Amino acid sequence: MSSIVERSSDWFERYLVPPLGALASSIYLQAVRDAFIVFTLPLIIAGSVFLVIANPPFPLLADLVKDYRFAILVPYQLSFGLMALFLAFGVAYSLAQYLRTEPVQPGILSMVLFLVASMPVSDLTALKLGDVLPYFGGEGLLVAILIGILTTKVMHWFRGSRFIIRMPKSVPRNVTRAFEALVPTLLLITLVWGIEWFVSSHYMLIDGKNTQLTLPILLMEAFKPLVVVQDSYPAALLEIVLMMLLWSVGIHGMNVVLAIAAPFWFTTLAGNATGGHGIVTEPFFHIFAHLGGSGATWPLVIYMLRSRSTQLRTVGKIAFGPAIFNINEPVTFGVPMVLNPIMMIPFVMVPVTIVTINYIVFATNLVHIPVVIQPFTVPLGVSGFIATGGDFKGSLLQFFDLAVSALIYYPFFKAWERILVAREQEANQPEAAQVQTPAKVG
Amino acid sequence: MIRVLIVCSWGMSTSLLVDSMLTSAQERSCALTVEALSAGEYADKVDACDVILIAPQIRHLRKSIEKLAASSGKPVALIEPFHYATMNGQAVLEQVLRLLPRAREGEVTE
Repeated sequence: MSSIVERSSDWFERYLVPPLGALASSIYLQAVRDAFIVFTLPLIIAGSVFLVIANPPFPLLADLVKDYRFAILVPYQLSFGLMALFLAFGVAYSLAQYLRTEPVQPGILSMVLFLVASMPVSDLTALKLGDVLPYFGGEGLLVAILIGILTTKVMHWFRGSRFIIRMPKSVPRNVTRAFEALVPTLLLITLVWGIEWFVSSHYMLIDGKNTQLTLPILLMEAFKPLVVVQDSYPAALLEIVLMMLLWSVGIHGMNVVLAIAAPFWFTTLAGNATGGHGIVTEPFFHIFAHLGGSGATWPLVIYMLRSRSTQLRTVGKIAFGPAIFNINEPVTFGVPMVLNPIMMIPFVMVPVTIVTINYIVFATNLVHIPVVIQPFTVPLGVSGFIATGGDFKGSLLQFFDLAVSALIYYPFFKAWERILVAREQEANQPEAAQVQTPAKVG
Repeated sequence: MIRVLIVCSWGMSTSLLVDSMLTSAQERSCALTVEALSAGEYADKVDACDVILIAPQIRHLRKSIEKLAASSGKPVALIEPFHYATMNGQAVLEQVLRLLPRAREGEVTE
């Protein structure tokens, strides 16, 4: 039994790790992920607070805030509501870091280019803010990502090329930098402005209204089918399977999938904030699927605390505290789940089952759809209540999912425990206190 | 003074390991600083450290990190997954100490 475990983990290492690793190490995906996590998530979380206050879950409170609703929404609109603008900065900045080039200049320029791209080329003093505002938030994310990448790539290329204004050595470095950036800056502004001018001289019938186009509106119309497709059960299934396959070989699956899917998740979520009914969003995974960490491993921690295997008991004690805050690296690398053919099966199966149950529950309105983003470290029970904008059934759903996870994990856990106990008895005949590093798996 | 740079994913779980490493360094009265940075941030700090460690969940980035480390002549190693899982600061500290003497040959670091 034990040697089959080792042989198949070698097989996984050889055939599964390289392609998944290649996907995960794309600097573009990493830059997009960092931009979401570092630059926009704090604003989204803070903005959500005001959104919930403006739309309280209880009728009594709703009456109370009714007259101040627009005032309360202002901080939301200028943080969460402008996330694409800051994402444009973040993508350019993060990508510059990966390319090891100066990051602030491309970051700022990317924001400027995003502004140029989101407003029709016309008399701006006559422009109504309300007309463009949606495209600074959820509906401008794709444009923000594309512009962020374009800006940094172009500036990076220019820096290494002959087409920049070079200064004599005696000129201070900051002055040199400003001049170095001048040519690509002018070129990019002209380019985006030119495209936007062309685009905004066209009109299109959108939702029965003849609308003047901008780049975000055009892109949104083109991508709308994709956003709709992403907000479906097959897409959710694909995403969770990819996440767990990546984790099964020890790669941070949530990070990788987030980088690909975040533009869709956040567009859908922003839609929910304004009355939509989207299901496949960030909290759908972070809050409702990954209970106690990716793979819904909370029940495993409890099993481990009373395990007959010294290794599992040790890991269980260490894993308990972090699990409260949905951090499960001790479980992933300590059981280990990674490259462990026995535990990999439930590691994928449990989240898939939970996602299926939750999709049905949200689709049939048994529980309010997630509308609020929060840090993934908010403990189970509390997080389900907050995510749904104050539906206590959100917490109940989490506990139900937890029971499902406990049930599926149990037989696999027992099988793995037996192998470990046998190994430990073999290895530690004289002294049983020492914890051994597993020989091959991990 | 030994300066350790850990490259990880988000720094959430690594911070637990960092605390444990600092505690066991204190017990041995060994002067140690540990910084945990994401794959996007670490590059600038390579010159200002003595050892680079890679957290297991980003081992697919190992090659690119090793290349960068080699260009500034810093020793680099993957943290043993089980030690990472059990937040075993003592074992990781020993790994750091094992990595160091080799790197310091022919090079005077304070």
